[in-house]
Amino acid sequence: MPHKCTKCGREFRDGSVEILRGCPSCGGKKFLYVSDRVRNEDVLAEKSIEKIAEETKQEVLEVQKPASRPTDILGRVESVRIVGKGSYELNLERLADTQDIIIGMGNDGKYMLDLNSMSKKRSSQKKR
Amino acid sequence: MAAFLRIKGFFNKLFGKKRSRVGIYGPPNAGKTTLANRIVRDVTGEALGPASEIPHETRRARRKEGVEISAGAGSKLMIDIVDTPGVTTKIDYHEFLEYGMDQDEAVARAREATEGVAEAMHWLREDIDGVIYVLDSTQDPFMHVNIMMIGIIESRKLPVIIVANKIDLPDAAPQRIKSAFPQHPVVEISGLEGNNMDALYSKIAEVFR
Repeated sequence: MPHKCTKCGREFRDGSVEILRGCPSCGGKKFLYVSDRVRNEDVLAEKSIEKIAEETKQEVLEVQKPASRPTDILGRVESVRIVGKGSYELNLERLADTQDIIIGMGNDGKYMLDLNSMSKKRSSQKKR
Repeated sequence: MAAFLRIKGFFNKLFGKKRSRVGIYGPPNAGKTTLANRIVRDVTGEALGPASEIPHETRRARRKEGVEISAGAGSKLMIDIVDTPGVTTKIDYHEFLEYGMDQDEAVARAREATEGVAEAMHWLREDIDGVIYVLDSTQDPFMHVNIMMIGIIESRKLPVIIVANKIDLPDAAPQRIKSAFPQHPVVEISGLEGNNMDALYSKIAEVFR
């Protein structure tokens, strides 16, 4: 039995992994698992997929946005992000690469810069 | 015993001889402190620091200077051993609450652990000459933090020995670690039981010379 996109009605064969990235036609994220009995109801009876879902009491599946992975912090400017009280994300590559200390505060683009650590870097470069 | 160990730190300090500083890195609870204690205890009977099952027990780098590693056939090497906090990309105080800590204690521990990891990573930049990367043989070696750390160590061109620790446990699979990092020497040991430590000492003398 196939899945249908609730937005545009495009049909996907059973077990299709395409839908994990959303509908390639319309970008829809919700899909209904339709039985052969109601498979063509959307065209023949001019019902919306939501209506079919209602009638069949089949749950509409929504593709979830993948959870953010630790690699996401690689492109960030800060060495440590304070996510909340007692919760931290560490950018290991940045910590290993530079002496600069940049602290990210939450997820709203606030940063704290340790200017002292940055000036130290310049003086050590001068020595070389 | 094929290998024997002793301290000659005093004389080296006296004559200013340069020693390799070897950092023991790895994810939390891989057995870094247990291994560091094993190495130091083999030499002096002392311990470098307390080990526990609670993650981030080590929150500051601890160092033992002037450990002489001998691997038979006159092969000797003087090193400084640095035990570092477990390296991770996320530290959250909630993980400590399940070990019976109160919230304030757990929050303080998270902050200290974060500072400790930052310090250990800074050390990797300029204060460490070689790395013993410790992995728990019962865990998946393909964890993101391991791949990232090995990449960082390689980019710094630091010599590295990967230790497949905890081989005394029944579900240990050190072969997975060998398959994951075929480009580096892997030594299977049990830091707790002291199994196969001679092989590790031989490898240290060979790689960090």
